[in-house]
Amino acid sequence: MSYFTVFKMRLRMELQYRGAMIGGILCQMFFGLILVALYRALYDSKPQTLPIESVATYVWLQQAFFRMMLASDSELVDKIRSGDIAYDMCRPVDMYGFYYARIMAQKLMGSLMRAVPMLVVAFLLPKGWGMSLPSSFVGLLAALPALFLGLLCVCALENITVAFTMKTLDPRGMQGLLNLLMITLSGNLFPLTLFPESWQRVLKFFPYSQLLDAPIRLYTGEYAPASAFGVYALQAFWVVALIALGAAMWNANKKRMIVQGG
Amino acid sequence: MNTLRLYIKSIGMLLKSHLQYPSSFIMQTLAQLVMEGGEMMVVILIVDRFESLKGWSGGNLYFFFGIMSVSFYLTELFGRGITGDFPSMVRTGRLDTFLTRPRGVLTQVLCGGTDPRRITCIAVGVAALIMGSGLSGIAWTPLKALVLVESIAMSCLLILGLFMIEAIFSIFSVKSVELVNAITYGGRSACQYPIDIYPLPLRALFTVIAPFALTMHVPAAWIMDKPLYGWPAWTAFVTPLSGALVFVVMTALFHLALRHYRSTGS
Repeated sequence: MSYFTVFKMRLRMELQYRGAMIGGILCQMFFGLILVALYRALYDSKPQTLPIESVATYVWLQQAFFRMMLASDSELVDKIRSGDIAYDMCRPVDMYGFYYARIMAQKLMGSLMRAVPMLVVAFLLPKGWGMSLPSSFVGLLAALPALFLGLLCVCALENITVAFTMKTLDPRGMQGLLNLLMITLSGNLFPLTLFPESWQRVLKFFPYSQLLDAPIRLYTGEYAPASAFGVYALQAFWVVALIALGAAMWNANKKRMIVQGG
Repeated sequence: MNTLRLYIKSIGMLLKSHLQYPSSFIMQTLAQLVMEGGEMMVVILIVDRFESLKGWSGGNLYFFFGIMSVSFYLTELFGRGITGDFPSMVRTGRLDTFLTRPRGVLTQVLCGGTDPRRITCIAVGVAALIMGSGLSGIAWTPLKALVLVESIAMSCLLILGLFMIEAIFSIFSVKSVELVNAITYGGRSACQYPIDIYPLPLRALFTVIAPFALTMHVPAAWIMDKPLYGWPAWTAFVTPLSGALVFVVMTALFHLALRHYRSTGS
């Protein structure tokens, strides 16, 4: 239950910064518009089998949930650098679980608060520019659990990144590399659905495509709702594997931790 | 000249301080390489799937991408004081110390920051330029080389000028204004591709307000012998100067804003 309390406290904190949020939403929407305009121009030159509406939906969903992927707990990184993380070791909870709950709250609230207004506007945009309705009601229902599993997956990935930071103490190098891998392979930079087909066959098994790509494909109907359970199984496998890996890294780090400063 | 010497000396010192942690520096530089490499990969994937974009061939697209990444990251490399550090200078009150010294504030801000990690991004940009030039079969003449240099230099001034908008805002409101990123980083994302593919509102924004199209696309298109909108050759020489104009206007506004600067007192 203590994890749940941590989770709730972080949720409240995330709700405090509304001004920054509005600026962030407008900025993110502008990026979405630029991307849709680019893909529309590309489609004008050479139409693809994948309809443009589906690409636009992909772009908007990626932009709306951008915050889920890139919102690192900067406080935590500072704690690692300053050595304050030693205080957290005194708490009567498992550190991995403690931070997992914190990161999840931040990602969930941060992305939901941005996603809801953005998606409303994206729905209002004209067809082919904005977001389209899901392929079917079942598709929408199938996408929601996938989105939740994706959230679990991205939190586990984030904790692995933090574990690396504990080793190197400099957040920028390794964290930068891992974040880039995430942005590229999760389809944020360029829709995974437009990658060469041979790449897609491999990439869809990567942990990164479980975050948003799988839920989006369920939403747009590219994965039939009937195949949803296969998708969930793959996602669940990665969640378990990544949490196990992350927890092992944290435990190893705890043994050899040297607290900085005095 | 004295100012320039001061600037070069400061940058040299900062560079040395960055190199004090070689492993961290190498890691970060590598991360930058992967980042810009990823952006370039997107263009390659686009060319692979779509072949051309409204009459622009793959080679043309690489050239446009290269000119943007070289200009943008040159600006970040040498103008880090404005592009990255300024809002925090205001927030923490570090700007106050600058006001007491017998040099221009802008000079000192520019002397105060550099970001040598960007060197790998610039390398990717140069690679894209070479690749684009080869694939587009550009017949280089001294005049074309001159236009390219002018275009990159003026684009750097333009980008610096646009980042100064954020600096000016941060003088008036201590909270940083995320919205300004829309024209700096948004401009970078949008204008990696030629302007004429976009709908009118976006075209107007990046031609009139943040004239990336004038400093980059007009000269680059002329270099590739595909003049943008069929404009005559002289425009390739004249329009990039708009970058300097933006910079001058923003510098003036920056100094005006500084007069209203109130220290945060912390």
